[in-house]
Amino acid sequence: MRSYQSVFKDETKLDINYVPYRLPHRETEKRLLMEFFKFILRFPDRMTQRVIVTGDVGTGKTALSQRFGAEITLKAKNAGHKLRYVHVNCREYRGRFSLIIHNVVSIFHPNFPKRGYTAEEILEALLKILEEENVYIILALDEFGSLIEQEGSEAVYKLTRIQEMRLNKPQRVSLICILRDLKPIGQLDSSSKSTLQQNIINLENYSKKQLADILSDRVNLACKPLTVSEDVVSLIAELAFSENGNARFAIELLWRAGKYADAEDRDEVTPECVRQAVSSIIPTIRKNELSSLKTHEKLFLLGVARIFKERQKAYTTLNEIEKAYAVVCEEFNEQPHSHTQLWKYLRFMSALGILKTEVSTLGKRGRSTLVYLPTVPARELEKELSEALKN
Amino acid sequence: MQVEEVFSSKPRMKIMKIIAHLGELNISEIARRIKVNYSTTNQHLRVLEDENIFRQRTYGRIRLYRFNEHSPKAKAVKNLIEVWEKEDKESDL
Repeated sequence: MRSYQSVFKDETKLDINYVPYRLPHRETEKRLLMEFFKFILRFPDRMTQRVIVTGDVGTGKTALSQRFGAEITLKAKNAGHKLRYVHVNCREYRGRFSLIIHNVVSIFHPNFPKRGYTAEEILEALLKILEEENVYIILALDEFGSLIEQEGSEAVYKLTRIQEMRLNKPQRVSLICILRDLKPIGQLDSSSKSTLQQNIINLENYSKKQLADILSDRVNLACKPLTVSEDVVSLIAELAFSENGNARFAIELLWRAGKYADAEDRDEVTPECVRQAVSSIIPTIRKNELSSLKTHEKLFLLGVARIFKERQKAYTTLNEIEKAYAVVCEEFNEQPHSHTQLWKYLRFMSALGILKTEVSTLGKRGRSTLVYLPTVPARELEKELSEALKN
Repeated sequence: MQVEEVFSSKPRMKIMKIIAHLGELNISEIARRIKVNYSTTNQHLRVLEDENIFRQRTYGRIRLYRFNEHSPKAKAVKNLIEVWEKEDKESDL
């Protein structure tokens, strides 16, 4: 019996909470954050800072903030200052200000009472604790929108103004507010808005190339050598790109695909593993979608399914599909349709989302269209189509 | 207060044990854990504070009690509880 082998060398590097040392394509934003907070390394008591970080799901907001937090804390330590970076997900505390602040206090006093005190009292306690311990904090409020939704301007006002009212005492709480877009900020009163909206860092959605770079880094950290090909990385990047450039989705997909490879005792992650992984995340093709296809569209798709089932490739070409389609037509006693007609089928399937196409200029001559099966496992598709064609 | 008086109270011993385990707590939580009312708990805490065994930190209305790390008495009591419990655990095994 073959002993259990895994494509992973350390799958924790694909965990949602893992923050890598290197953040590809977010170095500029990290440097900008460092610029905003540079004063802390020299004069931590003179001022505080507020920065807003925005970006879609999976654009690296949390990872950026946490990596920055780890680096500035270390720099502050070397400079002889006590600085803590505290990351709180506001949604976890249902946007309740008192619970969020309590969470921060409990870092210093783990048994701090949870009930019976107002948010102001807990916030006052926090400032006193920071004073006693001579600590400065950068408080990163992730999913900041849920705090605004729950508490409105009041919480922001308290957070930003309460320390300003403590005359002749050092300012100790800086803020990083993390949210998808600036819409919730619009709900705040003008005073809170102006306090917050001075420094905004917006993270653009990742491009396919950027996603591939991120994935390559994670593959090196998490997977054994030669277990994930460039083709597979490119396929995952393409899929994540179509999910609004979501890097979190890409990393999760890589992990799931690796799990499918392990479950099937494979030495490497194949494109089919990726498709299986996608179909476990995203609803795949529905049977009624297949039954609505005409006979030759089904034959065409069956040809595609067989190519991907038999060869562990991420992409194919229309030329290859045409050959596979001819074999399928012979099997079902049908006269094959012309190349132009097949091109139309391809465009139709692409519009339905069953297939995806991409123009490649990497070939020896001119441009060629690469075709791939984005979400449906080829084996599953072949089975469904064979049954549909027999009936 | 004589040593026998400090140690003669079961609730006080319980309070010291809880604080030895948890580090610090507020009065209501101590009262809840030893199943004694707030005011009685407060009186016991005052005794322990007067004897320099405990000290409190106040944050507005919030009062947290802990062993007074500068007091030899507090260190001795903490040590006594730790040794006692360690021995008990070993004899259970």
